[in-house]
Amino acid sequence: MHSVELRNVSKRYGAVQAISDLSLSVAPGSFTALLGPSGCGKSTLLRMIAGLEEITAGQCFIDDVDVTLTPPAKRRIAMVFQSYALYPHMTVRQNIAFSLSLAGQSRKAQDEQTGKVAKLLQLEALLDRRPAQLSGGQRQRVAIGRALVRDPAVFLFDEPLSNLDAMLRGQMRVELAKLHQDLGATMIYVTHDQVEAMTLADRIVVLDKGRISQIGSPLELYNSPANKFVASFIGSPGMNFLPVTIAGAASGRAKAKLAGGAMIETPVRSVGPFPPDAELGIRPEHFALVAPDAPGSALTGAISLVEHLGNSTILHVDTPAGPLIVEGEGNLAAKAGENVGLAVDSDRAQLFGPDGNAL
Amino acid sequence: MSAAAANARPAADAARRLNRLRAFDSVGLFMTVGTLALAVLWAFPLYWALVTTFKPESEVVKAGLQLWPEHFTLENYGHALFDTEIGHWYVNSLVTSGATTLIVVFMAAGAGYAISQLNFPGRRLFWWTILASFMVPFQALIVNQFVLMSQLHLINTLTAVVAPQLIAPVAVIIYKQFFDSVPRDFREAAVIDGAGEFQLFFRVYLPMNWGVTTALAIIVFIGAWNNFLWPFLAVTEQEKMNVTVGITQVFDAFGVKYARELAVSMLAALPVAAIYLIFQRRVTQAIMLTAGIKG
Repeated sequence: MHSVELRNVSKRYGAVQAISDLSLSVAPGSFTALLGPSGCGKSTLLRMIAGLEEITAGQCFIDDVDVTLTPPAKRRIAMVFQSYALYPHMTVRQNIAFSLSLAGQSRKAQDEQTGKVAKLLQLEALLDRRPAQLSGGQRQRVAIGRALVRDPAVFLFDEPLSNLDAMLRGQMRVELAKLHQDLGATMIYVTHDQVEAMTLADRIVVLDKGRISQIGSPLELYNSPANKFVASFIGSPGMNFLPVTIAGAASGRAKAKLAGGAMIETPVRSVGPFPPDAELGIRPEHFALVAPDAPGSALTGAISLVEHLGNSTILHVDTPAGPLIVEGEGNLAAKAGENVGLAVDSDRAQLFGPDGNAL
Repeated sequence: MSAAAANARPAADAARRLNRLRAFDSVGLFMTVGTLALAVLWAFPLYWALVTTFKPESEVVKAGLQLWPEHFTLENYGHALFDTEIGHWYVNSLVTSGATTLIVVFMAAGAGYAISQLNFPGRRLFWWTILASFMVPFQALIVNQFVLMSQLHLINTLTAVVAPQLIAPVAVIIYKQFFDSVPRDFREAAVIDGAGEFQLFFRVYLPMNWGVTTALAIIVFIGAWNNFLWPFLAVTEQEKMNVTVGITQVFDAFGVKYARELAVSMLAALPVAAIYLIFQRRVTQAIMLTAGIKG
């Protein structure tokens, strides 16, 4: 198994700084997702590891070997592109064997290795078809096959599922996860879809404007976001943010006063001093619907919209503290216009300072 | 709304639709008749030439319009095939057109790839030079080219016929445009797989644009086969002539023999007609490609 390390890498396109002094270590055998919105530099970072983008400053190591100036073909990496990049004039067999044929391997060796990969990915029946005759999922598997046949040290995936419909995406996610389990290979996966990152990766690197915002396991990022950007990016529906004033703090907890007068006591990670103004982040599922006059009701408000998703119900509630999104059970019998009380799981709420960092 | 009024509306709609259909039909009919008339106008000289080749000369010069030969004869084709050097001319045309096609396609694809995909000093200047050369008509260069070929002692050689025809900026422009439109992922995937520039060119870019190559090859071949002006200037010896130039040598001491000349012309046009019939779709595609460039 193989490791990847980036040391203080930067990428500049003229006046635009795409990646700023970024260091990252990818453990051997891990499935690391680079997650972030469009333009955050995640694909650029992947392409720098692949050698498709020159590194303006810093170094890239694969297995402790400096590959900063090594051409892509000699880095022992394989990449699956968003568009799959399957050569339309070649059959599936020729596509998979292309790198072997370039390396001058005999036809017998090519057929042998192509056969192995085709068997693993269940492509045997499709070997003589051309890409145009394949479905999206089959093309995706061929693209993975083309990467597999090279027996690379590191697999790089650049948003490989984004061209598939939702159902196929789900299936391919499972196939990729199984593949990682079977191969135990080091994989780096770029996506803007937090669900993909959460379900596939054992480690997620959240990028924002060319810098690492947070690195952690999916649950670490979900439960303890380092800042408001990560908190808002991870989770669907997104976290609610309410402006609060901090009324006091003691023993690792702070009292946050919401607009409208409600008071919520929530744990804090830092020891203070705390700024007077902050934002309280509460995930939609950390609310519970109660009667407006129930003793546990921290907030009251009127339901403005109800979205039934089957397994859950999303409520849009207007409260004196601000509009909130609340996630309830699937069979919730709530109606728009109804007044409800909201109890808050305050132990799981997060406070964020004016600079966006978690308090 | 009354029931009668409700029934009247669909009936009125149907009548309107029918009227519209009738109007459309009459326009369609007019267009069809017009197109057919133009087609007949265009095709008639061809028909006339073909029919004439099967007539004896005495019938050709006879007064009046004769749409079909009174005495059918193959004598004119016999003369063209056995009393002229048409065999030589055919071979010369085939060699010069084939060589022109191969070299033009290969050079244009290479230049188009280089301009589209490689970064080298002077790339932009190279591109602008090709675009500028596209603006200069061939006829404007003909004297210079003749002098050049003469100084190189190439006049009356097949090389002299081929060389000036190799300047085909339009083919470079077409290739560049097609190579530009190949998504960058293909190149990058191949680079990761270990492909060098030659492998990228021969195994990815050229095969991916095979349709353009065949279309261009066909149109370059037809152009080279039909070329008259330059081969006419570059070659004066009968055995070095192309078939288009060779036609001018079919004359008779007692005057013009129309049927014979037309028979040679028909034989000269035969390969091009055959290519057109076989590769009709590709030829149309090629014409559209070059027309798109020429604006």
